[in-house]
Amino acid sequence: MRDSQKLRLFLLVGLAVVALLLVVFGPAVLGRFSLNVLTRSMIYAMLALTVDLLWGYTGILTFGQAAFFGVGAYATAMVLMHIGASPSLLLLAFVAAIIVPVVLGLIVGWLSFYHGSTPLYATVISLVVPIVMTQIVFSGGVWTGSSSGLVGYDVLPLGLTGFFRLTGFCLLVLAVLAIVFVRSDAGRLLVAIRDNEARVAYLGINPARVKILLTATLAGVAGLAGFLYANASGVVAPENTGFVFGTEIVVWTALGGRGTIIGPVLGAIGIDYLSASLSGDLPFLWQLVIGGLFVVMIIVLPGGLASLVTRHFPRGKGQQSLKAMPTTADANGTDRREDVFVSIENLGKSYGSLAVLKGINLDIRPGELVSIVGPNGAGKTTMMRCLSDGTEPIEGTVTINGHNIAGLAPEGVVSLGVGRKFQVASIFDTMTVAECLRMARLRHVTPSFTRSETEIALPGPAAEILQLTGIAEIMDRPVSLLSHGQRQALELAMVVALEPKLILLDEPTAGLTKAERTTIGTVLKTLTAKLGFAAILVEHDLDFVRDISSRIVVLHHGKLVLDGTVEDVIHSEIVRTIYSGGAHV
Amino acid sequence: MSDAAKLQLNGISSGYGAVDVINEVTLSVRSGEIFALMGKNGMGKTTLLKSILGLIKLTRGSVAVDEKSIAGRKPSELIACGIGYAPQEQPLFQDLSIRDNLRLALTSDRKLAAAQERVYGYFPFLKERLSQKAGTLSGGEQKMLILARALMLQPKLLLIDEISEGLQPSVVSKIADVLKHEAASNGTTILLVEQNLDFALSIADRWAVLKLGAIDDQDTNGPDSRSRVLQHLKI
Amino acid sequence: MTLLLDIISTAAILFIVAAGLLAIFGVLKIINFAHGAWLTVGAYCAVVTTELGLNPWFALPLAFILGALLGGLTERFIVRPLYRRPLDAILATWGLGIVIGQLITLWFGRDVHFTTALMQGTVDVLGTSYSFYRLFAVLAALAIGLGFAFLLDGTRLGLSAQAVIMNEALARALGIDTEKVRLATFMAGAGLAALAGVLLAPMTSVDPNMGVPWLTGAFMLVMVAGTSFGALAVACLLFGAAQVVVSTFLSPILGGITVAVLCAITLRIRPKWFARA
Repeated sequence: MRDSQKLRLFLLVGLAVVALLLVVFGPAVLGRFSLNVLTRSMIYAMLALTVDLLWGYTGILTFGQAAFFGVGAYATAMVLMHIGASPSLLLLAFVAAIIVPVVLGLIVGWLSFYHGSTPLYATVISLVVPIVMTQIVFSGGVWTGSSSGLVGYDVLPLGLTGFFRLTGFCLLVLAVLAIVFVRSDAGRLLVAIRDNEARVAYLGINPARVKILLTATLAGVAGLAGFLYANASGVVAPENTGFVFGTEIVVWTALGGRGTIIGPVLGAIGIDYLSASLSGDLPFLWQLVIGGLFVVMIIVLPGGLASLVTRHFPRGKGQQSLKAMPTTADANGTDRREDVFVSIENLGKSYGSLAVLKGINLDIRPGELVSIVGPNGAGKTTMMRCLSDGTEPIEGTVTINGHNIAGLAPEGVVSLGVGRKFQVASIFDTMTVAECLRMARLRHVTPSFTRSETEIALPGPAAEILQLTGIAEIMDRPVSLLSHGQRQALELAMVVALEPKLILLDEPTAGLTKAERTTIGTVLKTLTAKLGFAAILVEHDLDFVRDISSRIVVLHHGKLVLDGTVEDVIHSEIVRTIYSGGAHV
Repeated sequence: MSDAAKLQLNGISSGYGAVDVINEVTLSVRSGEIFALMGKNGMGKTTLLKSILGLIKLTRGSVAVDEKSIAGRKPSELIACGIGYAPQEQPLFQDLSIRDNLRLALTSDRKLAAAQERVYGYFPFLKERLSQKAGTLSGGEQKMLILARALMLQPKLLLIDEISEGLQPSVVSKIADVLKHEAASNGTTILLVEQNLDFALSIADRWAVLKLGAIDDQDTNGPDSRSRVLQHLKI
Repeated sequence: MTLLLDIISTAAILFIVAAGLLAIFGVLKIINFAHGAWLTVGAYCAVVTTELGLNPWFALPLAFILGALLGGLTERFIVRPLYRRPLDAILATWGLGIVIGQLITLWFGRDVHFTTALMQGTVDVLGTSYSFYRLFAVLAALAIGLGFAFLLDGTRLGLSAQAVIMNEALARALGIDTEKVRLATFMAGAGLAALAGVLLAPMTSVDPNMGVPWLTGAFMLVMVAGTSFGALAVACLLFGAAQVVVSTFLSPILGGITVAVLCAITLRIRPKWFARA
């Protein structure tokens, strides 16, 4: 592991040095044609890199980078053409080429990402943007040169070699920045969003905001590429902003290998350079080959060509060590145990004409462990959803820590002190244990954009869960290799690491062994009785419920039929009838 | 009723993703009997039925019908050769008419009329309201439609998932009569998954209790069955 | 009057183009980006019949059959492995579109082709003389719409398709062979796209990339309409009208993006609006 990691680092540094040498000495060996084409290819590679960050890392399939690129290029060309090309105006063009796409990126991001938006919708928007931009260019008259584009403006006085070196240098810097970023703790958040956006929101981070910022930033990078392009080529045309160009960038990224930085960069350079060299001889056949290769690649090798290489270099993270933060004896302070933390008043919820919950009233105080039981379809999971997502349309009110949660997205509810554990463990499937836990701490610890920390400090109870279940020993293991019980425990630890005051648990013991159940039960009892957390537990296993609850609530057909101590409920006739058969309550 | 196994489960395991919900269940249902499989929520009853039909892939073990393994057969083939299924979750096409819901049980309309007549015999109200949307029926009527649809094909083996859930006693006893009649007069083998033990034991020949994805206990239905099952389901 | 006829015929053309895409999206939940390529294939069927001097009507069945065959192969070898990766399915079908486009280019060259009109001349509608062919397009749209309505409500395949659209898990549990339904739907959708290509050919010029602009418009309309043909018809009428109005009174270039922009905004503000209509 350590060796392959050193090898990896060595290779990366080696690659960067070779690239730098090529950029500096390339002009000495390459002919005019190659210099010209490679300059363009490297600009395209910057775009492929942005598509890769959006699509490969964050999971947003986008055709829209072409639009930001075109806007940057046109902004540059329009300034230079219509105003002039003095040094200060060149600077203006440079600033405009970045600022305008960033603003546009913010707008596009706002349109694309909101609580409840689908990945397909973002793709749809990314398709509309270049189409709109192209049409605006077409209808721009002399300002944009309409269908013939803009040509014949003064550019940066660099010459062929100068542009080659400038472009190469920019690409190299961007690639290094990107590699450092995606390996940093902050960069892993992108992967977390791709893996499991809902979990990110329930860790208290607004995924929509992250995506909007990313879109805007990368729009700026695409704008920079546009600035270089407008200068190096001396011409801008409507095709540069178009949807077809947008899909080409995606093709390069896919063939090179999404989710690696080097793959798409080499993919873009390689394919564009080969296209230019070969298309003279076999113009359409070449496109045909690329298209065919693309289809086959998507089906059988979704990781692209790079995955042939990376599979020999497993991504290693240095040894991660766990550190428990000192525990405050009582998270909520014993004196506050009488304050109601959650107050549910007259809660009702319907799907269409089907009423799932009706007139529920419930108060929960710190230190209580309230179990919700009832047959299938009684509305238990729905109730959890209504408590953790204020955007669910409901009747009645849910007040948490004195705030009405109506309209609050999950990340807003989390900031009121609520952590939710899902029925099926909701973690990040391509990450390691330590990375998952780090994501859970992002709300409290500002992550580094350049480094990946080797120590992870967790609140005492979270660390204890990991130690009791043995996960503390395997912090570097990818979560895909964890057993079912370990996944459940890890998610619980992540939720506890949020330092919530209320934990919602949906069937935490489903599919666990007897020993695992006992462990989880012990942990939950400590969290509530000793540390003053409040917990709401949905559970089918009544033996488990009886052992750990401080209070039991029975739901049946969406109504609260019983609310009492464990003894009250276990011995009640209603519960017996509900569970033995078709009682009508 | 004969001793030949109509349905034989040989140590089957199955589940969702990495987790097995069903763990090495071995169970034999004899030809012509009503077999009640009971257990609390979340114990894997529905998963078991889906695994038999091939809707969920087995991770271990095998299923045999009429002593022939049905490994690798598609659900559509199994149903076509005489397995009826009355599911519990989202069991009806709410926006389709009663007629269309019934039609979907058959692969062609050729035998539709005869099959419909057959189920009208059990549930006459269906005939009057053929063009009504299934979603507008009452809870009890929906359950009867689900059962009627499963009976359309005149199955040799009928898998029923919690048909009595949330029903009034009168509807439950109506359904009990239909199932008893179907088993007695047509020799249909019925695997009944239930939580309502009074209903299940009122018609079952034999029973078993499923707990945490494995068979906890099983026996022929007798005077002490109720207390034994209740012991297993105890709260 | 011309404006009104323009609106109706534009809506009709949009509907013809989008119907096949909607059928596939409804049943398979997959966006078929090769849709534009099949339009092109259909249009070239018209070119071939013209060049061979055959009756231009012959292009219609030819296109439908060819489209359905290609669709069948696509479903089996490209779409089926990608059911669980819908975004990748978009890309793979787009790649297929590139391949088809290049094959057509290799065969027919890049030049623009023209086809014999299926019917010519103008006709008087309440005192306005109007292209006969555009009116025919309205009839064709009605025929396709009614055809689909019949197919869905009147046939076994339609009923099975509806069942798969509404609740695929239940359809499978009732013994419906969902793979077959998907294959049949995909073939029908592809055939329909090729058919639309034949109908479009006389109204535009035919070239290897003619399908792309149509694809994006149709795609947006389908996203708005969801899985209902009724909703698609309404969306085509509404957005088609907006397109005609913008093209007539502002600029034809802006008219070209009206549908896409309005659809995007509708989706952002009222995603379920049309689906409920």
